[in-house]
Amino acid sequence: MEKSKLKAEERTPLIEITNLSKTYGKRSTAFKALEKINLKIYSGESVAIIGKSGSGKSTLMHLMALLDQPTKGSIKVMGANASRLKGRKLNKLRNKYFGFVFQQFFMNSNDTVLENVLLPLKIAKVSRFKRKKIALKALDIVDLENKAKNKATDLSGGQKQRVCIARAIVNNPKIIFADEPTGNLDSGTGKKIVDLLFGLNKKGVTLIIVTHDEDLAALCDRQVRIVDGNIVAETRSKRGSSLRSRSIREGEKEDR
Amino acid sequence: MKISDLITSANRNLLRNKTRSFLTILAIFVGSFTIILSSAINAGVNDFIDKQVASIGGDGFIEVMPAAASEQIMERMQSGEKVTEYNEKTGSVTSASISEEDFEAMKKVDGVKELEVYHILSPEWMRLKNAEKKYNVSVEYFPVGTMNVDLSAGRMTNDKSDDYEIVVNEDWLKPFGLDKAEDAIGKTVEIATKQTVKCYVAPSDCLAVVEAKIVGVQAPGVLSVSGDLHISRALDQELYRLANEGISEESLGIYFAVGEVEPDKIEDIRKTFKEIGSGYTFITVDDTVGMIRTFFDVILTVFNIFGVIALIAAAIGIINTLFMSVQERTREIGLDKALGMSRVKIFLSFSIEAISLGFWGSVFGIIVSMLIGFSVNNFLHSEGQILETFPTFELARFSPEVIIPIVLLVMFIAFLAGTAPALQAAKKNPIDALRYE
Repeated sequence: MEKSKLKAEERTPLIEITNLSKTYGKRSTAFKALEKINLKIYSGESVAIIGKSGSGKSTLMHLMALLDQPTKGSIKVMGANASRLKGRKLNKLRNKYFGFVFQQFFMNSNDTVLENVLLPLKIAKVSRFKRKKIALKALDIVDLENKAKNKATDLSGGQKQRVCIARAIVNNPKIIFADEPTGNLDSGTGKKIVDLLFGLNKKGVTLIIVTHDEDLAALCDRQVRIVDGNIVAETRSKRGSSLRSRSIREGEKEDR
Repeated sequence: MKISDLITSANRNLLRNKTRSFLTILAIFVGSFTIILSSAINAGVNDFIDKQVASIGGDGFIEVMPAAASEQIMERMQSGEKVTEYNEKTGSVTSASISEEDFEAMKKVDGVKELEVYHILSPEWMRLKNAEKKYNVSVEYFPVGTMNVDLSAGRMTNDKSDDYEIVVNEDWLKPFGLDKAEDAIGKTVEIATKQTVKCYVAPSDCLAVVEAKIVGVQAPGVLSVSGDLHISRALDQELYRLANEGISEESLGIYFAVGEVEPDKIEDIRKTFKEIGSGYTFITVDDTVGMIRTFFDVILTVFNIFGVIALIAAAIGIINTLFMSVQERTREIGLDKALGMSRVKIFLSFSIEAISLGFWGSVFGIIVSMLIGFSVNNFLHSEGQILETFPTFELARFSPEVIIPIVLLVMFIAFLAGTAPALQAAKKNPIDALRYE
């Protein structure tokens, strides 16, 4: 039973993109951000979307995360056609199955760290007591439980990004979308974030990372290279996993 | 998000910009304070008038007089002439009287519950039984009906029984040597009246004394300042009989009558009475106090208009505050949407913020207007001030029926003011909102 289920999941992609185009503006000022993109992402994968600034990689991520609507083409998430997902169903999908990590963090600076982490649970109508418990657990995973009562503004960049990861995993998501998760961080703190993200991937969470950082991309199972709105190359790194494990080991050493 | 969470976060957002929220609430406060205070005064004045109206006869109480008499009085008042020409047909004011025949006809008119000849009594004195001191007194009887007299102790007279009963007012407690209104109940008084005919024969020995029981004490009020004490029907008839013993009934005449009618038929009765005999009119208590009511209504309406204008200004303040709030929190809205918050909830979160502004503004309005209302009340009731003699008159009356509709109205206005900014927030595209700098 278990095995057949696993196989079925492997066969249906978690996210399936067909002929996807996105155009900004109208007619003369129209700008094609993405053109006829085809991409399949399977459960448990880690995928890096690499490209220069303005290549369309962020737009692609936003479309996959159903934060934006495509101009043409279709997106299927867990077998369901995204264009048909509207209102409550769409909100529920984002709330229950997606986690977001942004380069700019997007934290409510006036709220406490705990409040920021439990926001997705609050939106999901989880009771006060329960959501606090779950959020503290998530903070424990990112090693920031002792900062729960602090104001979000009082944290360093690395700590902020870890809070964002805690917020992204608090709803136990199937997919984590990370947009330049290490972009604003120095290499040491960046490594910690990377370890956290790939640690989650190891536990079965699908990871989609948008980055211009080749080193970070190399850690992923798969690299999707985008130039001017087109996929120019897809590579699969065989050594990705070994590199990753080394990085994790180094990270652990640093922690100690 | 749960509604309770939305309310908590809305109020937390208001606290984030304390000065801005405070100023907006202040604007709402000014409007709601004005409306609440003027409505409270309106309620207080009307409540007092209602009580006073009840104390002389309630809604259905009428005083009937010949139309000729009232017309003459009206004519004199309107023309300003002190001396008017004699009219053969109507006769003089004093001689115009109600004929027995017409009196019976009026009694039968639909809607008339009770109609009685009003006896003008002039008792000589009154004293507590066996007491030394005698006091001047004036008494009267009219049908009590369903009226609700403002009593500080006891009950009204029972006019169906043959008992001699009297209701005194609080001014009598001191002369009778009593501390509390309750102490007066059950005491017996003696009322003396001169017997007109007997007095021609023996002027020194023509007093008749009747014993009556105090059954109630009337609270002081504007309309009872005449000081006439209410007596039971049986006592009224006994005093009238004693005073006029030996005089034929026909020669006494009926100058006016008092009665009780069904309040909703008053206008029909008025028309019918005009057609009986040479025509009769009556005045109701409402006619008497209508002027006072209108006066207060006009003043307080003006105040309410000021309040509403202030509220409209405050509503513009709310719109402004919320638009600023939406702009400041654009990224937050984007994040909420990205994390799966629905449009309705985003709309609600800003609406609740607007409603909270209205709520707090009106709560402060209630608190301040109550403080002012109560202290002015206390001041006016203190010794030497104009309301000292009217303890039951609350100048500003703050009942839930007055306050709650105003609070709801203010909250509704705030909600309306908040719809435009809230809609703007709800419509935002999550990605555009997140990209906002």
